[in-house]
Amino acid sequence: MRKRIIIRTTLIVVLILIGIFLYTVGKEHKVLIDNRDISVGDITYSADTTYKVWVDNQEIGVIEKGGKKMARVKGISHKIVVEEIKDNVLTGEEYEKRFKLKTNESATVNLPAMINDKNEWIDKIN
Amino acid sequence: MMKKQSLTKTMNPGVHFLINNAVPIIFIILVAFAIPITGLSGKYFIRELTTRISRNSFLILALLIPIMAGMGMNFGIVLGAMAGQIGLIFITDWRIIGLPAMLLAMLISTPIAILLGYFAGIVLNRAKGREMVTGFMLAFFMNGIYQLVVLYGMGNIIPISNSSILLPRGYGIRNAISLVSIRQVLDKFIPLKIGGILIPVGTLLVIATLCIFIVWFKKTKLGQDMRTVGQDNDVARTSGINVERTRILSIVISTVLACYGQIIFLQNIGNMNTYGGHRQVGVFAIAALLVGGATVAKANISNVFIGVILFHTMFVVSPRAGKELMGQAQLGEYFRVFVSYGVIAFSLALYAWRKRIEKENKRKKAMALKRGILVK
Repeated sequence: MRKRIIIRTTLIVVLILIGIFLYTVGKEHKVLIDNRDISVGDITYSADTTYKVWVDNQEIGVIEKGGKKMARVKGISHKIVVEEIKDNVLTGEEYEKRFKLKTNESATVNLPAMINDKNEWIDKIN
Repeated sequence: MMKKQSLTKTMNPGVHFLINNAVPIIFIILVAFAIPITGLSGKYFIRELTTRISRNSFLILALLIPIMAGMGMNFGIVLGAMAGQIGLIFITDWRIIGLPAMLLAMLISTPIAILLGYFAGIVLNRAKGREMVTGFMLAFFMNGIYQLVVLYGMGNIIPISNSSILLPRGYGIRNAISLVSIRQVLDKFIPLKIGGILIPVGTLLVIATLCIFIVWFKKTKLGQDMRTVGQDNDVARTSGINVERTRILSIVISTVLACYGQIIFLQNIGNMNTYGGHRQVGVFAIAALLVGGATVAKANISNVFIGVILFHTMFVVSPRAGKELMGQAQLGEYFRVFVSYGVIAFSLALYAWRKRIEKENKRKKAMALKRGILVK
């Protein structure tokens, strides 16, 4: 009888843990990708380039100067890749960043800050 | 009475085969007649049929275990479908996407399906011999409770934060929910295209696994118990089988499988009719199984696949055949509904007729035996 209770309790706990795992890896997050000027301290990083953006290998599209686009991603760990476009041609100059989001977080990525490798490149919002 | 007895006695094997397989034979003739009229391309036809096989087979397979336990066609699978839909409402509310969303929906809806199945099992145990009609009415009853919970409870008592699925008044779920976040995630889990036709390998693998499970289950102690219960309750009881418990378990398993079946069905469709999506599930699944040559007392995996192919071929061809023959697709649809459900009624009546004759013969044999003993 006691053994049965232990087995059943363990099974329920395992199922709850699987549920939490599935919730975490399947949770959708919004990532706003912003190609606008940003001021960090006294310095302003201006958006003067057009970029093509991929988030988690999914093409988000071309973001022109002053533009923004939204990506919907799932899970905790993500990768953003941007490539410069000059005269409507991809230059091959790529920038890559990785970031993590908690279950209820969404994020805004600023491309000029990201290209210049500033800590303010990502703003996570709950 | 004499005439009936002589009918069964003189029945040759050919006639016996025809009567036993009357429903699939009628459907094969109809389909063979309708397909050339439609002028549908082979590619279109195969694509439609592949989609429908993958979409519906799991739900129909869910019916097999209660038949094994002698409980007839489980109209109560609607309860499982409701549980599945509740799981899907939650994952849409929590904005979970992809395959994890589908699995989570299954996980959430499993305890609900177990509870509903247990409840249905208890009710059906109190209505032995009338399980089908009781299951049918039970589905109506539970539909009322489902509507109460989803229409008034969700957003009021059960927190729902996603405004896109809530009614504008702030509580209650909208009539239609987009399941774009899980649309065809299982179908496309292993992407395979043959001749431009998407083969839903993931779903087919799941269906194959369920088939293997059913074959294995029949050989287990519980499976054997269910078969014994299905053959004779009294014999099962004297053999030490807890008949009531076994019957409840068969309904619980069927309800849980139906719950998964509904989730698989809706991931293929990509949207959900909150208040109507589950209502016809039982009728469609049972119709397909009967069309496949199953009876209320006997069904196997081959009946499922023959049924799903024949029944859904009618869905594909009838509107087009109606249009070609009578100029209106709707007339073809009416014809399909008439023939499909007429055939189900025919199948059930045929079963009842056979059962009555068997009973009568058994009674007469017993009487003759008794007389013989008395003479001796």
